[in-house]
Amino acid sequence: MPLFLRALLLLCLGCLAAGKLCAADFQVVIVSSERSPAYQEAADALLGELERQGVPRKTTLQITPSELGTGGELTARLFVTLGADAAMAVVKADPRAPILCTLLPQESFERVRRDSGRRSNSVLSAVYINQPLNRQMDLVRLALPDAGRVGLILGDGSQGQIPAVESAAQSRGFKLVIAVVAPGEPVFKGLKKILEEADLLLAWPDQQIYNSNSIQNVLLASFRARVPLIGFSSAYVRAGALVAVYSTPAQIGIQAGATARGVLQGKTMPPPQYPVEFTVSVNEHVARSLGLTLDASALGERLRAMEQR
Amino acid sequence: MSRRIGMALVWFLGVPVAIAQSPGAVSEKEFLADMPVVLSVSRLPQRLDETPGAVTVLDRNMIRLSGARDLADLLRLVPGFRVSNSFESNAPQGSYHISLGTFSNHIQVLVDGRSVYSPYLQGSTGPGLQTVALEDIERIEVLRGSNSAAYGARAFLGVVNIVTLDPLATLGAHAQVSWGDNGIQDTLVRLGLGDERASFRLGVDRRSDWGLVGATGPNRVTRFNLRADLQLAASDQVELRAGQSVLEAGVGYSTLPGDDVRVRRADTSFFQLDWYRNLGLDSDLALKLSRTQELNQDKFPYLPIPGVVVDYGGRATSDNLSLQHTFRQGPALRIVWGGELRREAVSSRPIYNTDSDFVNDFVRLFGNAEWRLNPQWLLNAGGMLEHSSVDGDSFSPRIMLNWHFAPGQTLRYGVSHAFRPPSTFEKFSNVRYSLGDVLLDSTKVARGRVKPEKILAREIGYLGNFPGLRMNLDVRLFEEEIRDFIKSSNYALPGSGVLDSNAIDYINDENFSIRGIEYQLKWQPWRGGELVLGQSFSNSDQLVSGNYPKLPFSSTSLMASQKLPSGADLSVIYQQVGATHFAGVDLPAPAISRTDLRLAMPLRFGARRGEVSLVFQNLGPAYQDYLPETSFRRQVYLTLKLEN
Repeated sequence: MPLFLRALLLLCLGCLAAGKLCAADFQVVIVSSERSPAYQEAADALLGELERQGVPRKTTLQITPSELGTGGELTARLFVTLGADAAMAVVKADPRAPILCTLLPQESFERVRRDSGRRSNSVLSAVYINQPLNRQMDLVRLALPDAGRVGLILGDGSQGQIPAVESAAQSRGFKLVIAVVAPGEPVFKGLKKILEEADLLLAWPDQQIYNSNSIQNVLLASFRARVPLIGFSSAYVRAGALVAVYSTPAQIGIQAGATARGVLQGKTMPPPQYPVEFTVSVNEHVARSLGLTLDASALGERLRAMEQR
Repeated sequence: MSRRIGMALVWFLGVPVAIAQSPGAVSEKEFLADMPVVLSVSRLPQRLDETPGAVTVLDRNMIRLSGARDLADLLRLVPGFRVSNSFESNAPQGSYHISLGTFSNHIQVLVDGRSVYSPYLQGSTGPGLQTVALEDIERIEVLRGSNSAAYGARAFLGVVNIVTLDPLATLGAHAQVSWGDNGIQDTLVRLGLGDERASFRLGVDRRSDWGLVGATGPNRVTRFNLRADLQLAASDQVELRAGQSVLEAGVGYSTLPGDDVRVRRADTSFFQLDWYRNLGLDSDLALKLSRTQELNQDKFPYLPIPGVVVDYGGRATSDNLSLQHTFRQGPALRIVWGGELRREAVSSRPIYNTDSDFVNDFVRLFGNAEWRLNPQWLLNAGGMLEHSSVDGDSFSPRIMLNWHFAPGQTLRYGVSHAFRPPSTFEKFSNVRYSLGDVLLDSTKVARGRVKPEKILAREIGYLGNFPGLRMNLDVRLFEEEIRDFIKSSNYALPGSGVLDSNAIDYINDENFSIRGIEYQLKWQPWRGGELVLGQSFSNSDQLVSGNYPKLPFSSTSLMASQKLPSGADLSVIYQQVGATHFAGVDLPAPAISRTDLRLAMPLRFGARRGEVSLVFQNLGPAYQDYLPETSFRRQVYLTLKLEN
């Protein structure tokens, strides 16, 4: 083969290999921590929302953090991350486009922001996965109108949240009962105090306290003491929590999609937001056993009405 | 048995204790993670207004405030119960709706799901009530009313369901001692360790006193209980229990040569393995395996005839294997069904005149449906089919309809049919006394014709919850028709011995009905104060032998407690029981009036907590307890409790 032909072929192969990455100029690149169903649900909702708003799917790209590392320079008008790992990876890669971190808790986002050089919301913002405290307190008030003392078990790492929880509780007329469990200490020690002093237990996402080992005892003991557990995900309600308010990955995806569209239209990225859409779930069997009548959709409606006021 | 326990211990100690998770950064994983189903279908109890029958719950706080040292004594707080603290026949016991007899055997007693009646002592529930220390009990649910469909063959008139504390609730060390009048000396030491993955509890205790006035005494109960809960996987949990209780009672009378003074010993040990598997949101399996072993020793010389020895000793074992499946079928139907294999073996040369075992193999199939017809109506329907290798087949159905006619207001109506198979003693006893080769007397020679007793119970119940008044009320109106009630009967037995030609058999001798009404009221009139009042009024057509007229029966119990500003607890327990008689044995049981008082102060030593309490039992004059010769006198005792 003549030399120039060989060179041409290599050049073509090289371009193909660099492929879409060379082609660049995606509207949106979605970087997802995982491809498991929950993340895919969020990605699909986000893509669907963008498509509805006139952003064709072919102008978007969905990858995982590992693909981000091997891809060389990747350009897009906006990066949307799903999950804390993806957010951390994209911030580290530091693309020239703004980054919208989604499907991660506020605490994770704040850590990501600290590690990044980005200070302005217009270049780094978020749609959190966790619910605003006020929404959770309002749910407690609606579901358990007679409750006065909200119990909270916190691990060592969550103590920083106490002032915020305290102010949310006070504004709703609740008294907080807090038990802090040191690392290595059994969760039961903290639980004992809560079951003696509180009317309900508000689960706080903290791996040290709530994990698949401890949940068994937390749920059984609190049920026996008639101190219902208020969860933060549908899995908690399935496991035996009385009620939970949470946002599904799809709800977060849609909100991220709407935010992304605004950025593509030239708007400034808004400050970090809590999920706007949410779901209330009730474990009706647990409610019945506790002698409570709770209607999940009615609770959701009332919460929405309260927030719109 | 002891070898088994030893092996189990080695195995427990070999289980690595899980270390609590170290703190990690919060991520979305917490929000998206799956969780095992914990409050699964079988773990959600029925609400009190949805149970098929009346239930009295004695919770931990009530047990503490009662000042009781004994479980049977505590049962006097349950409407319709008659109790005795006597060790004369076997152990303190309680009887629901029928008078106390030598052996109280018309109720079912379950300790953590294991039936603890004594196959050796004619099905008596007395020794079984001594299985665990009161301090280890989380709650006692007393189901007043026949319920064999849900609680097995012995739930003839009612069920005492004892639930012990979760080992995680008893972590750390706990010690307590009591001293008082009448030789009261109780000690308890308990140790708990572990975490959510594997938790253990070992408790050792002894309660002792000189017994009732007029009884020989002293009486001593010594026991140990071991429990281990292991979380094998998210959906699998294993609970292991092993224990032993030894009852030593000083019985007999120095003035009665035929009933000389001696120590009677009843030694019961058990091993129990329960395996729970969650099969999803709406389905659970429970596999239970247990062995209970009894060894009874009661032997003394019959002084009127030197050379003759009276011996009531012997042994019994019960082996149990059951599998239970609980599931939901749609939102309105919950079903429990399963099967059980049980083998009871009893042996005693002096009682049965043979060294062979008397074996009764039971095969049971049971099912219960809780069907929510609509938000106001709930139907509980169930039944148990039992085959006994000795007594044949029986079927015990039960149906109960609960109507929530207004918020917090429930009416229920139900019918239940149940059986009590005769005990091995009632069917096969063969007690003979000889001197050398001469047969002196055959006292009890059962002919084996006795059939199970039957009951048909009907009830109307009302349950009212008045949150505004902080009050709830449970009323039960009942009619219990008992057929083929088993009684002892003399018959001519030529050749039964040189002393006489009669012997005693057990026969189905009487049909009678018990009708009445009872209620319990719980009221928290002010902060820290609670009143629990129970009353029972009944009429029974049961024959009264001898000279005692039939009397309507009534009983009242009232517990008033108040939390004092200093953190102290004050409680007063009053009990009034109408005069009655021990049916069939021609003995009167005069009216009882008893008032107890308890004052307790919490203690704190740094991180350690404790309590000191003073209990006055029976502030008034002594009353007859059990036999006319024995009575319960005033006694005061002090308890010191420490835990960390």
